[in-house]
Amino acid sequence: MKKRFSAVLLIVMLMTLVTNVVGCGADKAQATADKKEPTVDKKGILVVSFGTSYADTRKVTIEACENKIAASFQDYEVRRAFTSNIIRKKLQERDNIQIDSFEEALTKMKEDGFTEVVVQPLHIIPGEEYSEKIIEPAAQFQDSFKKLVIGRPILTNIEDYKIAAEALKVQMPELKKDQAVVFMGHGTHHPANACYSCLQLVLNDTYDNVFVGTVEGYPTLDNIIPQLKEAGVKEVTLMPYMLVAGDHANNDMAGDEEDSWKTILKKEGFTVKTYIHGLGENPEYQNIYVQHVQDCIEGNPMGLSEE
Amino acid sequence: MKRLSALCLCVVFILGVLFTGCVGNKSEQVNGEPAKIELTDDDGNLIKMEQPAQRIISLYSAHTINLFALGLDEQVIGVGTSDSYPPQVRDKEVFDYKSDPEKVIAANPDLVLIRPFITRSNPEFVEALKKAKINVVSLYPESFAEFVPYIEKLAVVTGQEEKAQSLLKEFTTDIQEVANLTSEIEPKVRVYFESTENQYRTITADSTPAQMVKYAGGINIAADAEGIREGTSIASYGAERILEKAEEIDVFVAQRGAMNAGGSPHAIKIRPGFHAIKAVREDRIYNIEEKLVSSPTFRLAVGVRELARMFYPEVMDELSKFANKELVTREQMAQMAVMFKHKGIFVPSSKYYQQTHNGHVYGDFTDVKFTDPAFEYIETAVLSGYMEGKEDKFYPYQNITREELASVLYMLADLEDKESQITYTDLKECSNPRQVEIILENGIMSLKGNQFKPQDPVTGQEVVECLKKLADVQ
Repeated sequence: MKKRFSAVLLIVMLMTLVTNVVGCGADKAQATADKKEPTVDKKGILVVSFGTSYADTRKVTIEACENKIAASFQDYEVRRAFTSNIIRKKLQERDNIQIDSFEEALTKMKEDGFTEVVVQPLHIIPGEEYSEKIIEPAAQFQDSFKKLVIGRPILTNIEDYKIAAEALKVQMPELKKDQAVVFMGHGTHHPANACYSCLQLVLNDTYDNVFVGTVEGYPTLDNIIPQLKEAGVKEVTLMPYMLVAGDHANNDMAGDEEDSWKTILKKEGFTVKTYIHGLGENPEYQNIYVQHVQDCIEGNPMGLSEE
Repeated sequence: MKRLSALCLCVVFILGVLFTGCVGNKSEQVNGEPAKIELTDDDGNLIKMEQPAQRIISLYSAHTINLFALGLDEQVIGVGTSDSYPPQVRDKEVFDYKSDPEKVIAANPDLVLIRPFITRSNPEFVEALKKAKINVVSLYPESFAEFVPYIEKLAVVTGQEEKAQSLLKEFTTDIQEVANLTSEIEPKVRVYFESTENQYRTITADSTPAQMVKYAGGINIAADAEGIREGTSIASYGAERILEKAEEIDVFVAQRGAMNAGGSPHAIKIRPGFHAIKAVREDRIYNIEEKLVSSPTFRLAVGVRELARMFYPEVMDELSKFANKELVTREQMAQMAVMFKHKGIFVPSSKYYQQTHNGHVYGDFTDVKFTDPAFEYIETAVLSGYMEGKEDKFYPYQNITREELASVLYMLADLEDKESQITYTDLKECSNPRQVEIILENGIMSLKGNQFKPQDPVTGQEVVECLKKLADVQ
């Protein structure tokens, strides 16, 4: 009980933080709108993700999310930006695919005369990428549009966690007593790393033997293995808790290297199945992003219920 | 058969150069007086040394690899910034020709080995060393034909002529062995070799990698490619010409490396139109480390073998030669595991030792030397998770036990839990009963009576049979 309470507290703290940043932006935009007043509104949605150089997974995750958003908001033009410079450079040089950075995309939207812009990140947690690559640079564009609203990542408020847990049902195998699902989250040194533990608690409300670990944060697989043993688990299905099934899913999770999660679990005697599909492929997760865009349009980017 | 004789000729040529070529002079020893060494290096400088070098700094990774192969572990006191092979380079001080020459001078070397590229790019650095009366020798073989004279020069300045000759002989034999194995195979595999991902470049027909492809029994389908400039092995080709030959490309090899790198199999697969390429459709796209097929080192023999494994996996990774009544050692098991998976050997990148690694680190076993024939297989088997060492030891010559075999088989495949009830009385003696259980359930190994006998050794015949069953189950 105590544990759950602290997790809830953390979420509320995080939410407040994010709300402040996003909220301020929206107000400012409204203020500048009064000055310009162009005759016709040109509306756009900028879908921002870290990006991936894996073409097949990009198609079924990032592109699928963008397409669903585009189909849901036909008055809006949907554009794409990747925050990772390394991936953008790689795609440019290797595949001759030019993708804008977040700032480039907003600059172009400004030049193209957009008046209302919704920025929807495809991020999972409000971590460093979200705050430093989206929230911070967005500040300098507040005066560029009549309205600039930034949507929230998957795991932001309590209700989001519940929805995210429910949405996993689509991809969750039926589990026998000695079977488990272990999700590989990215993890971060940012305080938002706590999101993964909160997700674990919310998952515990619905599922048995479903665990969340991280590659670069806490908890790690080492923290999860004793829990698997304690629960008498014999078979583990590994799934990425990431938007795309890229390098981490293919190598760190399911690769044949000695330090991949698959290898480590097999060495411990578990049989291992791998599910190499990013969350972006899950139609329910695509719907979550659509809803977050909807919330932005309705002036409630944080998705707070009216209580 | 004709091809075989051509290959033989090439090898004979190498050997000929080896035994007759006289690139350095060493006057005869008189009354134990140190021999006087004279040679002209590849910058055209006449080098005179009173005795073979005792304190060597090598500023080019290929020199480093060859010096260690020549057994000069102790004489090498410093290496360059991008050295990652052999693993002993970690214990050596690192020097950089792009920084202050004083650091090199202060280390008091009697020989600094460079290559002409360094003389051209950092002339002040080289000049400063010469002013400090340090022997600077610049060597670089421009083509594979110059490999033997190059090694001989290295041997002369380090006093390792005999060792060099035996190594070159071994090197030639190793390459010849692969050439013999692949020469009889028909039809030959047709290969496209990608040197850079940018502009989809290949290699010139007379370059070292092209030679290695030939020794490995491959036919270079881009032999008509021309170098992007004089003296380079990088040649233009481009998507259009590759796709014109789409049906002719059986195997697509892209080199990986710090300087020039081709695409990853995934990147190659997704290129527009590349699905028309036979190798792409049949999933025969491979990466090979640039160092193994381009750099002038004794490891080129390893590169040829690796290429041949890509071209002719069934022949090169044929396991039946292990099917005998001898007990199998752990090093043999490592080799069989890597061959069974057709896994390319692990080659550390130039940044490998600057990165942190979880688990085993390449070259860390104290009981496996990099000169051991099974070194590459052991490292690859461990770094791929097929086998494990215990702390810093691998125990290569210990016989493998039935339980260890069960574990290797378990790691080599992703088997399902059949959930049948197999009972055996010595379950408690197994350290990982789950792995044993699943191997038994899947019929890969069987009980001896009602016991598993985890500590019993296994013969080559038994291992080969188990691997065959494992392949069938998959």
